[in-house]
Amino acid sequence: MRATLLCSTLLLASVSLSLNAQAAIYITIVQGLGGEPTFDEKFHDQATAIAEASASLTDPEKISLFSGADASRENLLTHFASQSSMMTESDRAAIYLIGHGSFDGDEYKFNIPGLDITTADILNIMSAFPGQNHFLLNSSSTSGALLEPLENENRILVTATRSGNEKNATFFGQFFAEALSNGDADLNKNNNISIEEAFGYAQRQVEEYFESQGQLATEHAEIRGDGAAQFTLARLNPVIIATEDPRIAELQEQSLEIDRQIEGLQLRRTEFSNQEYIEQLQALILQSATINEEIDQLLEETDN
Amino acid sequence: MKTVAINSLKKSALISACCAVLFAGQAQARDHLLGALDNPTLLSCENLHWSGQSAEAEACYLAIIRTVNPPEIQAEAMWALGDLHTADELFEQAAQQQPENAMILVRTGELYLQTYQYQNAYDFFRQALELEPDNAWAHIGAAEALSSGNNPEEVNAHLEAVQTHFASPAGARLRAMLMAIHSSMQQDQYDKTRGQLDQAWELAEDEQLPGMELNALEAALAFVKRDLAQVQPFIDAALEEAPTYGDAYAIPGYFASITRRYAESGEFYEQAVEIEPKNWNARLELGQNYLRLNKIDQGIQQIELSFEGDAFNPKTLNMMRLLDTFIERFVDRSFPEPPQGDGVPELVLRMDRDEADVLTPYARELAEASMATFEERYNFVAKEPVTVEIFPNHEDFVVRSIGMPGVGILGVTFGYLFAMDSPTGHPDETYHWGTTLWHEMAHVYTLEATRHGVPRWYSEGISVYEEWNTGPIPGIKIPSYVLQAMAEGKFLPVAQLDDGFMRPTYDSQVMVSYMQAGLIFQFISEEYGHDKIVNMLYQFVDGSDEVAAIENALGISDRDFDRHFKQYIDIQYGPLLGSLQIWQQDMDATRQAYRDGDWEATIAAADRAIFTYPDYVEQDSPYIAKARAYAQLGEYDLKRETLETFWKLGGYSASSLKELADSYLDQDRQEEAIAVFRDVHFADPFDAATHGKLGDLYMAAEQPDAALQEYLVGLALKPLDQATANYRVASAYKALNDQGQAMEYLMTALDIAPQFRPAQQLLLEMTRLPGRETREINSTAN
Repeated sequence: MRATLLCSTLLLASVSLSLNAQAAIYITIVQGLGGEPTFDEKFHDQATAIAEASASLTDPEKISLFSGADASRENLLTHFASQSSMMTESDRAAIYLIGHGSFDGDEYKFNIPGLDITTADILNIMSAFPGQNHFLLNSSSTSGALLEPLENENRILVTATRSGNEKNATFFGQFFAEALSNGDADLNKNNNISIEEAFGYAQRQVEEYFESQGQLATEHAEIRGDGAAQFTLARLNPVIIATEDPRIAELQEQSLEIDRQIEGLQLRRTEFSNQEYIEQLQALILQSATINEEIDQLLEETDN
Repeated sequence: MKTVAINSLKKSALISACCAVLFAGQAQARDHLLGALDNPTLLSCENLHWSGQSAEAEACYLAIIRTVNPPEIQAEAMWALGDLHTADELFEQAAQQQPENAMILVRTGELYLQTYQYQNAYDFFRQALELEPDNAWAHIGAAEALSSGNNPEEVNAHLEAVQTHFASPAGARLRAMLMAIHSSMQQDQYDKTRGQLDQAWELAEDEQLPGMELNALEAALAFVKRDLAQVQPFIDAALEEAPTYGDAYAIPGYFASITRRYAESGEFYEQAVEIEPKNWNARLELGQNYLRLNKIDQGIQQIELSFEGDAFNPKTLNMMRLLDTFIERFVDRSFPEPPQGDGVPELVLRMDRDEADVLTPYARELAEASMATFEERYNFVAKEPVTVEIFPNHEDFVVRSIGMPGVGILGVTFGYLFAMDSPTGHPDETYHWGTTLWHEMAHVYTLEATRHGVPRWYSEGISVYEEWNTGPIPGIKIPSYVLQAMAEGKFLPVAQLDDGFMRPTYDSQVMVSYMQAGLIFQFISEEYGHDKIVNMLYQFVDGSDEVAAIENALGISDRDFDRHFKQYIDIQYGPLLGSLQIWQQDMDATRQAYRDGDWEATIAAADRAIFTYPDYVEQDSPYIAKARAYAQLGEYDLKRETLETFWKLGGYSASSLKELADSYLDQDRQEEAIAVFRDVHFADPFDAATHGKLGDLYMAAEQPDAALQEYLVGLALKPLDQATANYRVASAYKALNDQGQAMEYLMTALDIAPQFRPAQQLLLEMTRLPGRETREINSTAN
């Protein structure tokens, strides 16, 4: 019984995600130089965790992880040029820069073997992507220096620091990576981790870390751009798609339609009085809950 | 010598320039000259001022300015008229004209004293002494400037120079005596004060010096010695000599305040500002007293008036900043709620608005429990509401308590109001706020039951004794450095125990005195019974001292008492004190082994330390190291057993208790887990996870009302997962059959997380309740 209910939940989540199935997401993870074994290990763990979490979201061939000597400027520029040429207007790109950064007062650099990736490089890479709402996470020290040059309406930016002046090695990246596979970060309980949820989780963890140590925080993460709540970075559980039972398929369609209506209602909530809004929301969620219950029953029958 | 003076004068000009704003617009009465100057024109103005002819005095000072007079005399007139900046400039001009005139430097120093620039003032007095090493006025000024610091030897050296030099003017010698009298009274040395006052009177009468301050001090002495009938006659005598001398009341007011007689202190200060409205210091003290007496609006008004008159008194500035916090951030919660009977609350909790929802349930629980406990144990019913102020910012709390920041206190009781630190003011694990609240509440009862007549050590001792015997974490807890002091025989005779609190002679003496006082009551309780403690307490109502109280209540002299107490300590702690060095070695070995990651050695060393002193549960307790070592070895049952012992002995390390509670949860020992989680709240109430777990336990135990409290507090902590927090509150309300509230919180949860399955299921459940035709939707989901 327990397994069946879980299955139902996952099923709905997967169907919900299929709404965006026609739009691809390209994920690039760059593990920069650690400089010492401790950081190398940490960056490796973070990059691996992000790659594993991203696998819940898209095909393996759309996930690229660069580390060690492979993470050279030349390789990266080639990779992004290729990716840009493949992307369509509806596709999205997500870039994770995991490592150390430096800022000399004028220019930010992300530290990789050989020539570093510069602000201008990152700007060129992101500008070349077709479409909009592409995502960049830079968890390095001084990463806040990127905000001003990169910020525009087509991008969602997350940096571990608020400026180039926060130069200590950061903790934000490890918590952000952790968020992608942690149910505690899934605040809206939809089985997906959005940028906004991962950011909120990591930000809170960083604050608590410094509080627990009795230290002043040496990093303050920043988020810029619209649509962070709608941009999914990972799913919490493996996707189980489809069922051959037409009754379940029909209920899934109904459920998706109700989810769309709820989302639409929430976007238009200012048009209603609070009472009207809650009445309508409650009615929709009751429908959703009833359908979920019916799906559970059907799945249980199928199991039996 | 001359060069030094000129250089210093240049420096003084710089000081003057930088402090131009500081000097502007003040108008506070000056101290009596007592013969320091002899200019007849100036003295005639001074006489008019002190005889209460204010308008005539002002005209007289103005005449000095408008006619040809030396700049130092014009400076005195400007000073008297309140233009301190111009006075400073004129003194500087005078000093340039007469670089070898020490009295100009002395008077400049006095001006700086009045503006709280003690170091600068001292520099002027020092320059004057370089010109005239025996200048008694410079010595007096230097002593006053230094008395704001912490160098009594140097202060005394300057006072001695005044008293011993044959040529010291009588006025300077009187000032030295007055300083000594203030000092003796501050140290409760009333017999000494009496002798000093008699000598001072003799001098004043022989030399025909004014006696108003002496009369004010006589009034203060009569007050503190509870010879109340004599207070007003002395004040009247002072006012007869100087009708606008506000200090005639303010000086007794000050001594009433430092002996914790805040109501009477406020009455004195009210009179002081009545007869001398520009006595800004008296206004500040009056305002502070109003705040202590919970007359908040009146307190704010007086402090603001003081600030308008003298904006640069650092104490006033601190209080003004505190008032900002008070007005903008603090909220009151009164109980019982709703009000009963005449509507007067029994308890008021005053807290920062961001903490009120978290602290209220636990602070209320402890406050009400402690009030009931002390009411019964001390036969006293509170006659006014008890107000508890809890400050998240430690420095705000200290300023609220004593006016100046930088003091390491945790709580202060003024009477029916006490203030204390919130746990957020102490992020480390050493602070158990529940114990502090219990301790301060005991003060409320001992102070009010004795009309504030109880000696400091007695009140502190009872508070510590109650911490140990009835507080939220019972058990005698003595820090290791206090044990060391005990071993070194540093306990004071009972008749001198107040000195340990008020005039400590070594770093840890205040804490040693707390522990000694607590142990004294432990001793009395065990040897004579708790009733004797209460009997003794009520003897302080009539002004008895501890020696008389001990004799009356216990039938022995204080010396015999000290002897018996020492025997008690020897019996109770002798073996431990004898092994203290070994215990310390075992404690060190435990720490070292833990640092080295040698878990077996950690456990062995901790066991040795525990064997010697099993009750030691402070933050460096060997139980904690032992439990963690067991965890490293995978011995989780032994870890739990160790932490269990720690907890039952009164250990309160929040992180250790949380580990214990979680291990109980792992074993489905819900009752024990509930008990431990509850104890965590009195050390660390700001952990949302603990409230969630405890709420879940209460729900499982079918105690939805208790669960609701935990869930509401968890929600007040603004957790990241708002959907779960709201859902939990909804589920508790549903269990309590409050469908309206349940639906409100449930819809908030579902608005945040529409696909939240447990919340969806609860919604289905609620809408399918038997007999429900319509859904209750009066929610205000966000």
